[in-house]
Amino acid sequence: MLNKVLFKNQERKQLVIAMIGAFLGITFLVMSIHYLIKVNEFGKGSDILGPNTIIVQKKVTPSTTIGLTKSDFSPREIEKIKSEKFVLDVKPVVSNNFNLWFETDDEHIPTFKTNLFIQTIDPSFLKANLEQWKWKEGDPSVPIILPRDFIVMMNTFASSAGFPQVSDELAMNANFKFMLSNKDGKKEWMKVKIIGFTSSVSAVLVPETFMQYGNENFANGEEQKISQIMISGKENEFGRIEELLTKKGLESKDAQMIVGRLKSMVGTLFFVVLCISVVAVFVSGLVLIQYMQLLISKNAYEIRTLMRIGYHPKTIVRKFFVYFLKVFGIVSAAGLICFLGCKYFLDEMFESGGVYIDKGITLWSVSAVLFAYVLFSLSSYFTAKKETFNAY
Amino acid sequence: MKIILDQIMPKPLASIPHGPESIWGKKIEIESSTHILLNASSGKGKSTFTSIVFGLRNDYSGDLYIDGRKSSTFTPTDWSNLRQRRISAVFQDLQLFPKLTVKENLILKNDITNTYQEEELLELLEHLEIGAKWEQNCGLLSMGQQQRVAIIRALAQPYEWLLLDEPFSHLDTENAQRCLELIHKRTTEQNAGFILTTLGNSHGYEFTHELKL
Repeated sequence: MLNKVLFKNQERKQLVIAMIGAFLGITFLVMSIHYLIKVNEFGKGSDILGPNTIIVQKKVTPSTTIGLTKSDFSPREIEKIKSEKFVLDVKPVVSNNFNLWFETDDEHIPTFKTNLFIQTIDPSFLKANLEQWKWKEGDPSVPIILPRDFIVMMNTFASSAGFPQVSDELAMNANFKFMLSNKDGKKEWMKVKIIGFTSSVSAVLVPETFMQYGNENFANGEEQKISQIMISGKENEFGRIEELLTKKGLESKDAQMIVGRLKSMVGTLFFVVLCISVVAVFVSGLVLIQYMQLLISKNAYEIRTLMRIGYHPKTIVRKFFVYFLKVFGIVSAAGLICFLGCKYFLDEMFESGGVYIDKGITLWSVSAVLFAYVLFSLSSYFTAKKETFNAY
Repeated sequence: MKIILDQIMPKPLASIPHGPESIWGKKIEIESSTHILLNASSGKGKSTFTSIVFGLRNDYSGDLYIDGRKSSTFTPTDWSNLRQRRISAVFQDLQLFPKLTVKENLILKNDITNTYQEEELLELLEHLEIGAKWEQNCGLLSMGQQQRVAIIRALAQPYEWLLLDEPFSHLDTENAQRCLELIHKRTTEQNAGFILTTLGNSHGYEFTHELKL
């Protein structure tokens, strides 16, 4: 009965328009937060390097070849790059200054031996298990991270030689060894354990301590030069790193650049959608609150009379509050359902386009709806209270 | 329930000369179970009096005490509690919900007081000869019929004071008499008092006190 008195006299068209606005806002809000997180997560976990990290070197030009320009980085150049606002960190990639052979030491995989180029990078750039990524003199094996191309090359060789191919798991469980040597004929063999793979680096990665050991004990006497550096950039600012590379005449692996560029572009796009959605949710929430004010002022006579015949103001406030809680609850639920439907189709589209993203629902996107709901509930409660007591 | 009007002077009436018998600006104490007639000509403040006692107006000087407590300290919830259980009123402008039926208007009140069964409400309407209007919107009734609905609604609660602001102004003598009998019966049952404001016609009402404005 009370509902009939308080809610019969209302302009439903206005309410429906406000609800549609809030519904669209909520849907785009959840969707943009969800895909913004997914875009930022894209590439994480598939590589041993962090998601916004690239390895760069100076472009080799004819003048570099004839020795007019240098291809290595000076400490000053590294510091200058590091001082850029969009750069999180820069570290040199240290290479070996000694002869190194890598060979199989396992009967289950084809015999293979090659002269190898190794590098080491600062552990802060690695997502590898740092417990495994340790080496000291006397340890039974040296942990290494192998370029994925290396396994492909090894399998191509195995295939052409009629040997069985090696999977990632088998490679990680198989035995390999290093042979370190110098010009004087000094040699040392060490067992090797593969702990991960990378598509970002072309060389085999080893722990810093091993590199130091090799360079100290087997170096050929030449000065160690830094020809590559690792740059870690801020989320969604990859475009600026690209600009920096062009300006400084640097280059990186294409794949890294493309992923970074795409992530940056799509991330920016979703961020814009997110901003628009926040504004849309805010405005539609405001329209709903204004609608509540209008409804209460239109029902001023009814509210006053109800209180005159003994109804408590709190009962009336609760009626308006619960009504608008339901309205926003319906809007939020509809927005979430619509998001799930759109997500299903979008994920399918991404998958058919070759982009595999995790299909789980992000906690932040659902939390955003809950946050909007709580915010709306609080404002609707205080508005209902204020307006009802004003009508009194 | 004791009501004290201590030097109350409504601001809109402050500039009007009041006679020596007028209650305005004086200290008046009224006890429940008394039957009071408030007789005055138009514009003297009959509705203002009921509005002040019912807590609808506070544009006056002086103080109103209900059971020893100053009314200015009452919260809206306090007033709601009083209006639900201790003071009932029939307003001059009736304050019905015109878009609700007679039944809905009465049930809306009865829902918070649980005074009558639905059948009893219908019987009261029939007693006042408007039983046939049970399902009709109040806005479609004549003023006299609406007055009778408002009276039954006011009776559909426990009370210690019943304020009646010209409740029979649109009723013929016969219907006014029926209403008075009903009011008298219900008020006596509860050992309550009532204040009837009128423009001069006491409708045969037997009062214990008469107040002048």
